[in-house]
Amino acid sequence: MTRRDPFCAMFLVVALLGGALTGCASSGDTGDKGATSKEPIKIGAVLSLTGAQAGLGTPEQNAIKMEVQRINDAGGINRRPLEVLIEDDATNVDQAVAATTKLIERESVVAVIGSSGTGQSMAMRGDIDKAGVPQVALASGTDITANFDKLVFQTPWTPKLIAPLTLEYIKSQGLTKVGLISEDTGFGKDGRKWVQDLAGDYGLTIVADEVFKVSDTDMTPQLTVLKGKGAQVVLLWSSVAASAIVPKNMAQLNMDVPLVGCHGIARQEFIDGAAGTAEGVTTFAGKVLAPETYGVGTDQYKAATDFVDRYTKTYGKAPDHFAGHAYDALYLIVDAAKRLNGDFTPAQLRDAIEQTKGFPGIGGVFTFSGSDHNGMTANDIVRYRVDGGKWVLAK
Amino acid sequence: MPLDAAGLLQFVIAGLKNGAIYALVALGFTIVYAATNVINFAQGEFYMLGGMLGVFYFKALGLPLALVVPASVLTTACIGVLVEILFIRPRKDAEPMPLIIITVGVSMLLASLSRHVFGSDELPLPFFSEGGSFSVGGAAIERQTLWIWGLTLVAVVALTFLYGRTRLGLAMRATMANREAARLMGIDTAWIVMLSFGMAALLGALAGVAVTPLTQTRFDIGTGIAIKGFAAAVLGGLGSPLAAVAGGLVLGLVESLSIALLSSSVQGSSIYKDAIAIAVLLLVLFLRPQGLFRRASREKA
Amino acid sequence: MTVRRRPDRNEVLSIALVAAGLIAVVLIPFVVTDRYLLRIFTLVGINLILVTGLCLLFGYTGQVSLGHAAFAGLGAYGSAYLLLAGWPWLVAVACGVALASVGGLLLAMPSLRLKGHYLAMATLGFGEIMFVFFDNAEWFTGGSDGLQGIPPASLGGLTVTTPEGNFWLVWAFASAALLLVGNVVRLRPGRALRAIHGSEMGASACGIDTVRLKIQVFVISAGLAGLAGALSASYIGSLSPSSFTLHRSVVYLTMVALGGPGSLAGSAVATVLLTLLPFADAVIPGITTSAAATLQDWEPDIYGLVLILVMLLMPRGISGVLSSAARRIGLGGSAPERPVGEASTP
Repeated sequence: MTRRDPFCAMFLVVALLGGALTGCASSGDTGDKGATSKEPIKIGAVLSLTGAQAGLGTPEQNAIKMEVQRINDAGGINRRPLEVLIEDDATNVDQAVAATTKLIERESVVAVIGSSGTGQSMAMRGDIDKAGVPQVALASGTDITANFDKLVFQTPWTPKLIAPLTLEYIKSQGLTKVGLISEDTGFGKDGRKWVQDLAGDYGLTIVADEVFKVSDTDMTPQLTVLKGKGAQVVLLWSSVAASAIVPKNMAQLNMDVPLVGCHGIARQEFIDGAAGTAEGVTTFAGKVLAPETYGVGTDQYKAATDFVDRYTKTYGKAPDHFAGHAYDALYLIVDAAKRLNGDFTPAQLRDAIEQTKGFPGIGGVFTFSGSDHNGMTANDIVRYRVDGGKWVLAK
Repeated sequence: MPLDAAGLLQFVIAGLKNGAIYALVALGFTIVYAATNVINFAQGEFYMLGGMLGVFYFKALGLPLALVVPASVLTTACIGVLVEILFIRPRKDAEPMPLIIITVGVSMLLASLSRHVFGSDELPLPFFSEGGSFSVGGAAIERQTLWIWGLTLVAVVALTFLYGRTRLGLAMRATMANREAARLMGIDTAWIVMLSFGMAALLGALAGVAVTPLTQTRFDIGTGIAIKGFAAAVLGGLGSPLAAVAGGLVLGLVESLSIALLSSSVQGSSIYKDAIAIAVLLLVLFLRPQGLFRRASREKA
Repeated sequence: MTVRRRPDRNEVLSIALVAAGLIAVVLIPFVVTDRYLLRIFTLVGINLILVTGLCLLFGYTGQVSLGHAAFAGLGAYGSAYLLLAGWPWLVAVACGVALASVGGLLLAMPSLRLKGHYLAMATLGFGEIMFVFFDNAEWFTGGSDGLQGIPPASLGGLTVTTPEGNFWLVWAFASAALLLVGNVVRLRPGRALRAIHGSEMGASACGIDTVRLKIQVFVISAGLAGLAGALSASYIGSLSPSSFTLHRSVVYLTMVALGGPGSLAGSAVATVLLTLLPFADAVIPGITTSAAATLQDWEPDIYGLVLILVMLLMPRGISGVLSSAARRIGLGGSAPERPVGEASTP
């Protein structure tokens, strides 16, 4: 290394950056987006297409792509084409932030859908707030709307709705000792806290409270503790692929107690991943897995069955509620944009979204207000059981 | 509230199961190190490939399980040999540092190629034999665990026979003891090195395919197991296959019992379980780098 | 000991280069108006700080660190924690740097007795255990979801919120880091370091306290990594453990390896190239977004290949290529640095 090196270093760096920027200068940066009404409406979507939450992101992407195609085939939104730019955050908080920055700063989107995960969705808030762009989150964390931000909306149900139903069910089965096992993410921690806080109200005791990382492949240590402490039921709060290992491990350990999970396991992949050990598992989720529960003939029923038909035809399998959450997010924005009719700013879009009343979505009937950006009730949730390798409505 | 006897036994069984896996991976590290003085960072990827190829042969080609295991293990062994020929041999005259960096690069490359070829999902394999767990003293032993122990035993016995009773084994031991002298004696050390990589890959893959029915496999599991395998190898004492096996079993037990102790007294602490092996590694490196079963030698700077 | 003499050609050239460099750095935000591009260039600066320290470590003492991202993490979380508690920015950053340096000291002391690959493994183990800590210690790091809402830089009442301001701030630090390391190299410690790299026994025999020097270098490199982490934390505004993984450590190592041992210039070039790689579509016209997405998809493969090929085919790295070119043009300069790994005995 010579004396000259650091200076060479500086010079070379600058030269390289200079070369790069002259390249970009010729490609022209953000020209003014003309204000003509035929300009496409650009929405961004940050989804977990890879990583631990890929099982959530993929159906979300499927739903969005299918619906965007359908909307544009029908002429777009007030005759403006709809463009949804999808970025993968790889179940990674940093990448979610980077993707949001890119969508807002580089693509100038008017709204952002996402993310699939709670941690990511909360982290995106910084950029969202700075830019004043509305966000419709596809994640379940209570904080997303409880920690109120006027720009942030949420389409999935939160533990606020799910936990009481779940605990009530456990109580109704005559069980009192609960072994809790949850994933170590914002989603898992959120559910865990709700269960801890509410258990006493239902006469339940949490005898063991274990946590697993989404990358874990072996939950027998945690389950051994649950077994050792006499859990009469295992309550699983997780949505990632690793959740399927819990019923497998329970079988390995000869644990004969019922397994109840949150809505995160209401996916076919959970049953498949459990390789036959998931029979009899209970969960609470929305009505899309059993559309008759929407009430045959209602607007919701029509929209849902139509969605299920098209999704099944396009992708060869029925949609789960994650696809439904994405559908809802997209249409909430589209519906709001339709009402605005013409050009609008992100701030106006936000206002329009907040004015949504009685919107018939897949996940539920949405009514937002200045203090409620989740908009659903317990009426939107039903109980399911695994029967014959499928989720079946439980009577 | 401490664990009862059945719970403790469960953790001991888990520790011995993991210990067998670590032993196989540690053997891989040791064999390569003994022949080349190189820590092969890609050893974890051989483990991953064992499982991945197992899934491939089973699902994509529809081979029966009895063929899947030898097929995946042998394929990975070939990959190990290929790695040696392409990436190690050209610079094997160099100091350890560039070779370490090369194996780090190989590790990254193998893992990401695996993602392109096999996808990023977790992939399962069925258990080698049907049937539930056996109950022993209140604890459950999965059939697959018996397979793991069985296969590890076979591997160790085979290695012992190889080293102790064959000319090849003699040549390998000579190379381990002093590479220059072995070469001067007419032993083809280049061939020995190649064989070492192949064997290390084989052992790693064996561990990988045997454990996949329990844990599923994924393209990125290599690094985690590599650290534990290396901790086991260093714990036992790098350079001696028997020490590697001992190190593996000890590490497995220490890890499992630590988890048992922690999680029964501190709620939610089992998320730290991966840190235990790393802590063992650091302690051994700092306090007794030659490992438990070897005398102090020129391991320090 | 130095005798006053007229500056020779080399020194004039040096001063001219650094002046040109500084002027260019100041001017860039006026020429680059695209916020996103400026953001990318700012990230280059942050990486450069860390890589400079790593280059010092690797090139001069031949030590490989597979866990340097952990020091960045210590600096990041340390400063973020204090910033969220309302501490002034500069103080918080300094504390983050101090935390990283202390971490470096604690690791270096027991590790530097270890031989090559044992040391590498110790740094790997340290990096991994720090990751477990970052991922789980919710009271300090927010666990796997990390920390959000980290306040941006503010100096003397002025908050730096514009892209230009952040760019200048980061590059001011980067320039300072380069100059600092450059001077370390130039003065007596540098000569001592080179002696160690040449032959540790020989250096010892000359009375150089090799262990103490190696520890000092390690601590400096850890501190610089901490600085990079701290700057990144308040620039991006959020932190998560996934920035401080083994993968990141290997990425930094690749930048140093590609640059060539002991060459700051080489490391700098490598840093620019590899940092810009995932943003190729933003930086080079004619690369479509889908081509860039493919590039991003193959990024780990590229890094693996770069590490392998550099060690096999061009062990002197980019700096070797540059030196040969420079000599051919007649710019002179010292003989090329002996690449890592070749025998040190004549």
